[in-house]
Amino acid sequence: MARITIDDVTKRFGDGDDSVVAVDDVSLDIKDGEFVVFVGPSGSGKSTLMRIVAGLETQSEGDIEIGDAVVNQLGPRARDIAMVFQNYALYPNMTVEENMSFGLKMSTDMSDEEIEETVTSAAEMMDIDKLLDNRPGELSGGQQQRVALGRAIVRDPNVFLMDEPLSNLDAKLRAEMRTEINRLQNDLGVTTLYVTHDQTEAMTMGDRLVVLNYGELQQVGTPLECFYRPANQFVAGFLGSPSMNFYEGEVEGGTLRADGFDFDLTERMQTSAGDRGALVLGARPEDISLHDEPVTDHEFEAVVDVVEPMGSISYVYLQAVNQSHDQTFIVEIDGQRPISEGSRVYVEIPDEDIHLFDAASGETIHQRKLDSEAEIALEDGMQTVSSSSD
Amino acid sequence: MATQDVEPGSAQRLDKDTRETLVTVVRHAFLLSWSFVVLFPLYWLASMSLKPPGQANSLPPDWIFLPTVYNYIQLAQQSDFVGAFVNSLVMVGASVVLVLLIGVPAAYVLSRYDIPMERDVLVWILSSRMLPPIAVVLPFFIIFRELNLFDTRIGMVLMYISINLSLVVWVMKAFFDGIPETLEEAARVDGATQFQGFRKVILPAAKPGIFSVAIISFIFAWIELLFGLVLTSFEAVPVTLFVYSFIGSRSIEWSMLAAASTAMIIPVAIFLIAVNKYLAAGLSFGVVIKE
Repeated sequence: MARITIDDVTKRFGDGDDSVVAVDDVSLDIKDGEFVVFVGPSGSGKSTLMRIVAGLETQSEGDIEIGDAVVNQLGPRARDIAMVFQNYALYPNMTVEENMSFGLKMSTDMSDEEIEETVTSAAEMMDIDKLLDNRPGELSGGQQQRVALGRAIVRDPNVFLMDEPLSNLDAKLRAEMRTEINRLQNDLGVTTLYVTHDQTEAMTMGDRLVVLNYGELQQVGTPLECFYRPANQFVAGFLGSPSMNFYEGEVEGGTLRADGFDFDLTERMQTSAGDRGALVLGARPEDISLHDEPVTDHEFEAVVDVVEPMGSISYVYLQAVNQSHDQTFIVEIDGQRPISEGSRVYVEIPDEDIHLFDAASGETIHQRKLDSEAEIALEDGMQTVSSSSD
Repeated sequence: MATQDVEPGSAQRLDKDTRETLVTVVRHAFLLSWSFVVLFPLYWLASMSLKPPGQANSLPPDWIFLPTVYNYIQLAQQSDFVGAFVNSLVMVGASVVLVLLIGVPAAYVLSRYDIPMERDVLVWILSSRMLPPIAVVLPFFIIFRELNLFDTRIGMVLMYISINLSLVVWVMKAFFDGIPETLEEAARVDGATQFQGFRKVILPAAKPGIFSVAIISFIFAWIELLFGLVLTSFEAVPVTLFVYSFIGSRSIEWSMLAAASTAMIIPVAIFLIAVNKYLAAGLSFGVVIKE
């Protein structure tokens, strides 16, 4: 087991003017035994960063440390890592047993008996001991996934690297494997880096999230911290499903004039906003309320565009009556509440649930309020993480 | 379904089972007649080789005859034929081994690494097959004579390699392209060197492709006649040339020709049967590897 330090790492592909920066000056400390999830959209550099840690790509600048050693010059075989690939990358010509023992044969001096014993116990752990004589082509996707995990754990490595390991599975199996990987990581306590573009996986699996976009680090923090205290508009929009609604507007005398409605900024918001002229207001679909009649004078009228019933909840897509563009925003309502497309409702965005972002930089300038207990828990979590990673 | 159809005239329409049976019958009839088209010449050749001389080419053909191995015994007693047969086996066998040793790694490198002007390199390799053989046979002859390769086994092996190399490189490149790169990466993470990854993971995964190009290369070299005719005279004569020698300017020794031709098929047939299980996968150029 080992801690990992990523120090000012930059990766460029190509030369000169054609070069593309895939990872842009990222620094990160991952403590021993931690489960860290790299999350971001396609092309955010998350996989490249993991491949640099694995030694499958060489960084253009910066250092990678695993344990206490700088491993820049070492190939993957010398880094004592195990990796699970998106397409599993099981060796098609070998049986499950041979797949699992290949790494031990290549990287250790263990005798054949020891290898067999180790493989059998890892196979039992992953519940694939009945499949040892099968070839990968004969297995289902879920079984292949378990074999790929088994092949990683049998090596007892310093670090697990998992590159979107669940993305080829169907939804039900994915949820099961998510729990399984969490359990494995807890039991084995091996430092784990996990790459995903799926924000549900990111939220549910990691001790900490590393949110990346265009190769740049956006935020590092616990899942709840990134969700409730996003560092910028990108993180706020990326985490949470459906995404946070954003309304851009100009500030005029304490009022944000957005397209279709005006929003009176509270004093606290005005202090946060300072003398900025343009702001983006952010509110999550589950925080916005819809009323049939106006209840407060903060509300604005909107037309229901589309209703998506999900069962216990429904997603309602709305447009403000007076807005000039076509964009809709989403509100989550109780699944039993009747609402029809084309009807008019009054939209209330509660003051305390609002995030404000700088319109130019996207940086968060005002965070929502939380329940006092949640606030304390979040602060504690942030301190634990920051003190342990120092 | 047709059986549940209540429209008028539905009684005349066939139900699903009958339709399926009909399709199966038509399909089998087609396959049987195609098999006949493919196999009949082989049968004709083999039956000719088993007829006594004089009867081989009789018209109308003797459908019923007493088979004899007379022609084969005659053939085996001709030391020239045995010599040419062995010659061909050695030369073609060596050329297949060498063309794989050169072509497979080349294809792997072209598939996996960023080679400058990769497309041009590939087309350049293919260009060796763009001219009709008759156009290059004279230059070959002059070059071979200058390099003292004329009528040598080594010369013939080199010639066979030049015929097959582009095929091996192109087919194997397509095959390697179909094998996910993550396999080598998994092997490297598992502690293998790049070469071990190639040898222990990629090569076995590419086995169907390798056997396919091996058999095709073998056949191409085995049946080569034109270059053998021009580039050999005595020492390195391939078996094709010997078979050709039964076609004289005045007469054709049909039964001997048939026996020699049948004998020529045997090594190819043995090779095909030996690697049969890889061929179906190999001739689909790696598609089965992808998951």
